[in-house]
Amino acid sequence: MNSTGSTQVAKLQDIKEKKPRSLQSFPAKVFHWLNIISLTVMLMSGLQIYNANPVFGGREGWHIPQFFLLGGWLAGGRHWHFAAMWVFLLNLVWYGIYVLVTQRWQHRFVGGNDLKALQIGKNPKRKIYAWHRIVYTSVIPILLLALFTGLGMYKPAQFPWIVECFGDWFALRVVHFASVPLVIGFAIAHSLLSLKVGGERLVNSMLWDEML
Amino acid sequence: MAEELNSQNPINRRNLLRLSGYSLGGMLVSGSVLTLAESLAGKATEPLNQKVEELLLKPQTPVPEFPVSAIEPNALIINTYDFTPNINLNEFRLVVDGEVNNPLSLDLPTIQKMSKKSMVIRHVCVEGWAAIVQWGGVPLRELIQLAQPKPGVEYAYFISADRYYESWDLASCLHPQTVLAYEKNGAPLPLDNGAPLRLASPIKLGYKLSKWVVQVTLVSKLLPRRGFWEDQSYEWFAGL
Repeated sequence: MNSTGSTQVAKLQDIKEKKPRSLQSFPAKVFHWLNIISLTVMLMSGLQIYNANPVFGGREGWHIPQFFLLGGWLAGGRHWHFAAMWVFLLNLVWYGIYVLVTQRWQHRFVGGNDLKALQIGKNPKRKIYAWHRIVYTSVIPILLLALFTGLGMYKPAQFPWIVECFGDWFALRVVHFASVPLVIGFAIAHSLLSLKVGGERLVNSMLWDEML
Repeated sequence: MAEELNSQNPINRRNLLRLSGYSLGGMLVSGSVLTLAESLAGKATEPLNQKVEELLLKPQTPVPEFPVSAIEPNALIINTYDFTPNINLNEFRLVVDGEVNNPLSLDLPTIQKMSKKSMVIRHVCVEGWAAIVQWGGVPLRELIQLAQPKPGVEYAYFISADRYYESWDLASCLHPQTVLAYEKNGAPLPLDNGAPLRLASPIKLGYKLSKWVVQVTLVSKLLPRRGFWEDQSYEWFAGL
């Protein structure tokens, strides 16, 4: 019996025993978890760094309340930020290779069919699913932009062209900081859409199934 | 066990509750645990960060400079860890010593007669702000060459009149745009910015750029004290 056959038998057995199989692949779940963890650390430590000299208003500017910060002070915030950066960066790299090699990029992200469903489709559920795919696909460029602008601020002497892409230092800081509202907005929209599209079963399939 | 936990939705809710319980408990002990984890996170990744920074540094390639029109005269914030020292310019000597064959003790007129490097660069502070500034001064590598470091020298210590202290890797000291500056934005360096002599360079964060430098000591090994802020856990290499 070949391997596909045996998987199918396993699937049939699962159906008989009413054991729900996870909708998500294991690598996708690992990627998702590492993103949640590293982004939370980067967001909180980034706000700690922000407070050393707020992007808007400088030292007299509005400071982020202590509750949202990580690191205690500037040096601690930077330690956390650059430590979590490695997890975040390497996570994106292996996942990028994974979606390319497995060709998941062709059907797991937003595509022409989603746009068609939104424009001419009549099925409201399919429309919400299309929005879901648009939103979670859009976080990829947001994350890449955060890395790109972060590299420009971390090593401006080695990558002066990154600073130039945004005009000047202040603009670069603003775009890097924009990762914070973008990622928080994404997290809210993504959670609500996942619940709407697949309910608890979908959410569990990405978070807990076969993980605990 | 895991299958059982996942087989029904209410139990998954219980899982969620359990996790939120964990995180609440986590918050309660977070004070001490976070401090520990933070020093671990810092200690674990700083060597990696430093390796990457050393790889990125092109020791002999100048960083692109800006036109004079790009200078931001009001953007440079004055930061001092403590106080602005009083320096008697007539008695001022810059000492270059340590593991060298030709220790130096130079007065200001002598330093200002040496070759001068002027550059308009971005000064970047660890706090996140930056300013485009013109600096003029003597390239540090001229002074180091004059002092003839012995083989094995890898670091330089910079001692300031306000007792601020810093240490650098030799490659960054020998970078063509690392200077001991006595000029800022076309005028003599103001006292608050580090007169008579301060470090200026586009390749290091601001806290590495000591003001009121009075002594450069070349050594083959770093001492336990590596710099005022570094000894309070700031990153040592701090390359840009």
